[in-house]
Amino acid sequence: MKQSASLPRTILAPVLLGVLAVALWQLAVVALEIKPFVLPSPVSIATEFSSSVSSVWTSSLVTGANALIGLLIGAIVGIIAAIIATVLPITDELSAPLVAAASVIPIVALAPVLYTMFGADKETARQLVAALAVFIPVYLNTLRGLRQARPVHRDLMRAYGASSWQATRAVTLPGAVPFLFIGLRIASSLAVISALIGEYFGGPIGGLGKSITSAAASSNYSLAYAYVLGAIILGLVFYVVTLGLEKLVSPHRAPSTGP
Amino acid sequence: MKHSKRLIVTGAIAAVSALALAGCSSSGSDDSTDSASGELTPVTLQLQWFAQAQFAGYYAALDQGYYEDEGLDVTILEGGADIVPQDVLSGGDADYAISWVPKVLGSIEQGAEITDVAQIFERSATTQISMKDKNITTAADLAGKKVGSWGYGNEWELFAGMQKAGVATDDISLVQQAFDMNGFLAGDIDAAQAMTYNEYAQVLESVNPATGELFTPDDLNVIDWNDEGTAMLQDAIWADSAKLADDDAYADQTVKFIKASIKGWIYAKDNPEEAAGIVTAAGSTLGESHQLWMTNEVNKLIWPSTSGGIGMIDEAAWKQTVDIAMGTKNETGATVISEEPPATAYSNDYVTKALDELKDEGVDVEGADFTPIEVTLKAGGE
Repeated sequence: MKQSASLPRTILAPVLLGVLAVALWQLAVVALEIKPFVLPSPVSIATEFSSSVSSVWTSSLVTGANALIGLLIGAIVGIIAAIIATVLPITDELSAPLVAAASVIPIVALAPVLYTMFGADKETARQLVAALAVFIPVYLNTLRGLRQARPVHRDLMRAYGASSWQATRAVTLPGAVPFLFIGLRIASSLAVISALIGEYFGGPIGGLGKSITSAAASSNYSLAYAYVLGAIILGLVFYVVTLGLEKLVSPHRAPSTGP
Repeated sequence: MKHSKRLIVTGAIAAVSALALAGCSSSGSDDSTDSASGELTPVTLQLQWFAQAQFAGYYAALDQGYYEDEGLDVTILEGGADIVPQDVLSGGDADYAISWVPKVLGSIEQGAEITDVAQIFERSATTQISMKDKNITTAADLAGKKVGSWGYGNEWELFAGMQKAGVATDDISLVQQAFDMNGFLAGDIDAAQAMTYNEYAQVLESVNPATGELFTPDDLNVIDWNDEGTAMLQDAIWADSAKLADDDAYADQTVKFIKASIKGWIYAKDNPEEAAGIVTAAGSTLGESHQLWMTNEVNKLIWPSTSGGIGMIDEAAWKQTVDIAMGTKNETGATVISEEPPATAYSNDYVTKALDELKDEGVDVEGADFTPIEVTLKAGGE
């Protein structure tokens, strides 16, 4: 098995490319004398970031907590729904159009309704928005995973005389795990984005969203981008943790390729 | 096979480069102030929000032909939640912009070169309203309550008032307020942010579930930041500083624009019903009685003028705004600006010229005899 013999390739190359891109950006801003309110330079963003680290940290905690709760709720509901849909195929047929519709609901339309339902001063609406954004990919991918047990494996279980529960435990569930994690990986970053966008429509102030818009309203785009950087880091943390979880659960398998 | 593949690839590269190069050609707006005989100069005005009676003067000036009289063909661009008017002005996509002073002070510190050439609204319209039973009558009463604010740079008077009263942001529950009063009416927000000319009326147009009738002013307590001493200057006309200094035609155009806009505001003062109708016809989604309320309330912010004429920038009020902008911290500890704004941040030169011309024509620019009308609000603002 090819170990990290290509470690320099997998780590150094992307880092180098990132550094090059940032350097080009800084060069462009300086050489073309781009005003800060049009496009801030990476240096000014880094300065603002380092001077507001504590504020970015506390804001990230708020947004991150909402995203995490949304991720957990959405993932659990998605997995259960996928299991039900596999066991009772009729529910899948009935719910397919609903799921398709739910996947395209714009947050802009949904969030105000949820805030009115659950209270404009509570975090609940944001968590539900994140949960919905998580539910869709987890449900669809888990459903696909539960369905793709290979016929030859199923025949083997029948030949062994396994009960349906034993067959499920031995073949279907392990086969579905990689697909579940594909869904979770997509969902992890979606949870952060949705939780952040949900902050614009109500709820307690303290997350990254409000900080970004307040900075932008005074054209302080360096500060706004500093908070955006915080949001990016938060999304990456979620993604990496999900990736790590997948490695933990299936250590002998290479991480499933997927988006 | 290989030949055709090479041909296709070469053709594709050529096509893509051609498209890219065509797209790169600068589509610079050709705003030549070529005032050939009888030709109107195109001028773009960027508003701070959607079309509503907050901007009645400009719509009235357009409708009544005041801009045309000055030789200007004005296009009014509506604003929105994500549109920062001063950036549109700085980017060259508008000739003038309407924005609040604290928001623009921040932009100026970030390098935007713009000047306040006419302070149309003399008084602030931001208030914090609450239901009577909450007993929130001053900023100090906000401690321990759920306080709503829209953010987007509208929150500084609130924070200044709290800071002055010794209420820290940790003492309150700060809630992100949506641009409607649903959270306030549902009881999720104790003290909500409301403009006298808009959200306050939205509450008065809603039915009080306790009585079955519309809410009345007696049901509400209002904290007025003008009274608390932490009001900041709001709607003003902003122009490009560099062009004002270098381009004489732009400077003259600015005086003409201010003069025609002021005539529009005087029209709105004398004919509030017609002005409300003009704004509704310009595409506002708010109802007519709501627009009339808005016109009337906005008139109260302008008239009577105590600064020497509508649009004159009062030194004391400017200083108060700058002091608050430098000294007030928001919930992350940031202030609007960290140093004094440059001298080009505002100028009374252009508005003085415009006012002098109007006074010579016998126009009353102070409106000392202005009396607001009585507006009856209807449910939903229709």
